[in-house]
Amino acid sequence: MRCLPALAACLLLVARPAASLAGQEPARIATESYTLPNGLEVILAENHATQVVAVDVWYHVGSRNEVAGRTGFAHLFEHMMFQGSAHVKKGEHMALLERAGSEGFNGSTAEDRTNYYEPLPSNRLNLGLWLEADRMRSLAITDSSFQNQREAVKEERRLRVDNQPYSRSIFEEAYTLIDPKACFPYSHSIIGSMDDLNAARTGDVQAFFDLYYAPNNATLVVAGDFQPAETKRLIEQYFGSIPRNPRAIPPVSCEQRFGTGVVRRQVKDPNANLPAVLQIFRVPAYDSADYPALELLSVILGQGESSRLNRALVRESKLAAAAPVLLNPFGPRRGPGELIAFAITNQGIALDSLDHALSAELARVAREGVTEAELSKAKNSYRAGVITGRQTPLAVAEALQSASLFLGSPDAVTTDFQRHMAVTAADIRRVAGAYLRPDNSLTLLVSAEAAK
Amino acid sequence: MKTARALSLLLAIGSPAALAQAPTSPPPAAPVRPASLPPFQEAVLPNGLRLLVVESHEQPIVSMSLSFPAGRRYDPAGHEGLAEMVAGLLTKGAGGKSADEVSAAIEGVGGSIGASAGPDFLTIRADALTPNLGLAFGLMADAVMRPAFAPAELSLLRTQTLSGLKLELAQPSSLASRYFAREVYGANPYARRPVPKSIEAITRDDLVRFQRLRLRPGGALLVLAGDVSLAAARQLAAKALAGWTGAAPVATRAAAPPVRTTTDILLVHRPGSVQSNIVVGNTTFAPTDPRFYALTLANRVLGGGAASRLFMILREQKSWTYGAFSSFTRPAGIGAFHANTEVRTEVTDSALREMLTQLRRVGGEPVPAAELSAARDALVGSFPLSLQTADDVAGAVAEARLLGLPANYLATYRTRLAAVPATAVSAAAHSAIRPDRAVIVVVGDATRLYDRLKAIAPVRLVDVDGNPLPPSQLTAQAAALPLDLARLVPRNDSFTVMVQGRPFGYQRGVLERTADGLRYTEETAIPAAGVQQTTTLTLAADGGMREVHQTGKAQGQDTKIDMTYAGGRAKGSATTPGQGGAKTIAVDTTVAPGTLDDNAIQALLPALPWAAGARWTAPVFASGLGTSLTMTLAVAGEESVTVPAGTFQVFRAELTGGPQPVTFYVTKAAPFRLVKVAIAGTPIEMQLVK
Repeated sequence: MRCLPALAACLLLVARPAASLAGQEPARIATESYTLPNGLEVILAENHATQVVAVDVWYHVGSRNEVAGRTGFAHLFEHMMFQGSAHVKKGEHMALLERAGSEGFNGSTAEDRTNYYEPLPSNRLNLGLWLEADRMRSLAITDSSFQNQREAVKEERRLRVDNQPYSRSIFEEAYTLIDPKACFPYSHSIIGSMDDLNAARTGDVQAFFDLYYAPNNATLVVAGDFQPAETKRLIEQYFGSIPRNPRAIPPVSCEQRFGTGVVRRQVKDPNANLPAVLQIFRVPAYDSADYPALELLSVILGQGESSRLNRALVRESKLAAAAPVLLNPFGPRRGPGELIAFAITNQGIALDSLDHALSAELARVAREGVTEAELSKAKNSYRAGVITGRQTPLAVAEALQSASLFLGSPDAVTTDFQRHMAVTAADIRRVAGAYLRPDNSLTLLVSAEAAK
Repeated sequence: MKTARALSLLLAIGSPAALAQAPTSPPPAAPVRPASLPPFQEAVLPNGLRLLVVESHEQPIVSMSLSFPAGRRYDPAGHEGLAEMVAGLLTKGAGGKSADEVSAAIEGVGGSIGASAGPDFLTIRADALTPNLGLAFGLMADAVMRPAFAPAELSLLRTQTLSGLKLELAQPSSLASRYFAREVYGANPYARRPVPKSIEAITRDDLVRFQRLRLRPGGALLVLAGDVSLAAARQLAAKALAGWTGAAPVATRAAAPPVRTTTDILLVHRPGSVQSNIVVGNTTFAPTDPRFYALTLANRVLGGGAASRLFMILREQKSWTYGAFSSFTRPAGIGAFHANTEVRTEVTDSALREMLTQLRRVGGEPVPAAELSAARDALVGSFPLSLQTADDVAGAVAEARLLGLPANYLATYRTRLAAVPATAVSAAAHSAIRPDRAVIVVVGDATRLYDRLKAIAPVRLVDVDGNPLPPSQLTAQAAALPLDLARLVPRNDSFTVMVQGRPFGYQRGVLERTADGLRYTEETAIPAAGVQQTTTLTLAADGGMREVHQTGKAQGQDTKIDMTYAGGRAKGSATTPGQGGAKTIAVDTTVAPGTLDDNAIQALLPALPWAAGARWTAPVFASGLGTSLTMTLAVAGEESVTVPAGTFQVFRAELTGGPQPVTFYVTKAAPFRLVKVAIAGTPIEMQLVK
């Protein structure tokens, strides 16, 4: 299943600009939360606007939990979750969902979590819950499935990382911003190395399942068109008897510091037609008070036609063919993250001149800050992104999961919006000064080997 | 979290031990409730504009669209692409605002705006958060009532369209679908597709005329969906659309698609193609035809998804292809059914036979009950997922209105689909999927396909431009170019290398006669790309290749070619840049008689007997790759080009069969000078300076 968003999708993470009037807030999401005796957290968000319901399970495990020598394992494991369980034959999971009319069901792996979700016509909610419970209780782990999925993951790596322009830089090299000695959990890629994938054994899968795929390490969200009493009964019936994992989950430790020195490195990209530069800066965890300002800063710098880098580097000086800014491409983290200023040279432009121009723009924002107009546009953009991103039950479910994991409560969907709206121009100037510093960065100079 | 509440909840519903165990098989579906679509209201404004409002106050957002009977079917013959160009330019400046001002305005207030043309309708769409609805609506009104059609924007869009078209025409899948539309629709306007010539023919006057004639309130449909009421929509329209009048354009009667009584194959020869694109299909029926539901089910069984027969057989069982599907269109006029796949050349005839078998089977024998119910469950089940947002609902309701479907179409869709009896599925497939009178288009290497496809159905052979190709020409492929070296005059040409219209380097070519033949020396320098190369060719007096030497650098890496042609062999070595450093290959291989080195083509262009319609296919050795190719050089048009050296009447000739198509512009008058070179898919051009 899916792990890495295609690069194109990442580049198109252009937040939509939004209303200029104050007081426009996304509709409040009414939720009910409880925990089953076995530790499974449940969040319900009822809404009968459509006959669609989303089932969304987040396991609180991701690449941050991997150990040296087994990078890529969380994602490899995600594939195993579609290979059948005690009462679901291999291949049957997807067939049952498809026949039920589910569309867009999938799973994905990020640094901090692995999710599994299915939007369903509301009369098939029971099927979605049952399938999730059956694999949480009794995943089928066989040698042949494991070999088969390991090959599929290696193929996915070739397709998404090894064979796409700039993908290795963004999805792999960028992680070297984090020092593996100080903070191994966030210093390696999600897709993992080929060597580690080859070294993985079937026994590792069972151990991983036993440790991390227990109800007391997961949150279930049901959002959309459902009847609460009946849904709670089904959840209790399907999930209630899945045993909790009594063992403690190994702690994730990270001592990464900011501003540890300038690092520059050359990267050869056999798939790129144009040289590119990535200036990557360490940023704090999602719950940090600085994060909302960094998020708006990334919009001001590098999202949309009228963003600073697009205006300065693409339209005016024409040094760049594109110059987006990405903040944590796989979503929020509970540890150090990355802000990536990514600029692709225009035809015939020397990489050095683009690198210098990019540095100058970043230094300027740290020195001079942003205008009130830029700030208000960034807030509007964020606001519109939040509002348009809440239109389906699955999107609501994901927002609740995210708030719950990264900010400690599903209710934080509301407070998170408010803390973004409270950001001032002074905040942005301060975080730009604090984090967009050369000594807090990794610069990747990508040479275009495909053009040769 | 909130454990106390969880415990009280558990107490309320009984102790866990008393609960039923989790079932060991998938739970059955709960009953389907009648569809509850967000309410929608309709009105007709005084100027004849139809208005549809879908209210949903879940989020403070409104999306709007305005559709006109101004789709591609109304492109005048010879001006194909006009509707799409009008759509593209509507939002590039209107109502006194420039293109930049329009995009700044919409970005500033938070929203988006854009337009596109479909087969029947041209639709402009915009969205915004509720407080900015008025501004977004005003921009949309300006776009359709007062578009600027600024010449600079037209010229930019024309360039973009032409380069997009060029890439599209190089894609075999695009070729297959274009030829299928042409074959299946004949003189009907649904057959029309833009070509470079039709795009070049479109003037600003054409755009203005089309907009005045077709973008009128009469016959149009305005849809607002989201956080808005009918009253608010009326007010917006009254204000922003004030003074806008005009009756619907008079409906023109489109020519009927051809009536077919037999099946034949249009084989589009794409030399060297390693895969074949196959499309099989026929016209179907009008959008209101009651067979729609039964055909929807039959299509799902046949090829509508990854669990359908075509996919399961051609991909999963036979491993002939990555995918095989079928679908049918539902335009305002007559629709069409088609099945398509892309397979490797060797299995083309087997795959086509299998597709025809499956097309016959779905209409010729009852669909097994389990297979039909799986198809039905999936289609009925996924229906609500297609209507999750107010915008989704608005789009579906608007489509139903525009196609003239019954008012209760969406409300009854699921129940009607669920009620189709199995016999009706077979009957609809039998009447609407016609392998006995199908259009079959195959795009592939005809030298390897012609005889085998002839055994399936009569074959008409054409080249990629659609010109009939006598089958005898397939065997006469790749003859030596008819070079007449007497035509060559010594020359010393300088070209400037342009990237996106800016000079980036130069190329100089010197042709000299020697005691026993010719020598051509070419020097290329593109400093920004790290290119600095010198190539020297020697040829015998009869045009036969003798030697090629190339030295220099590309992207900072060394390049070097030393190749000798003698006794039907190419021998030597080539060093070319590659990932992880330059690669050197040793070459010692046979080559066909009359083979030219790929570096020699440009030098020898003036030695060809140029004429309108001229076309040559010749063996070429790509010395840098060590590979034999069959390349075709064909005159594609005549035009006038202006380069630094002056304005020239030229033949435009396309060279295909190599890694990238190249376009040469050669003067129509002797000595047939090369004045311009363009490389497809890149912004690079070389223009003659002197």
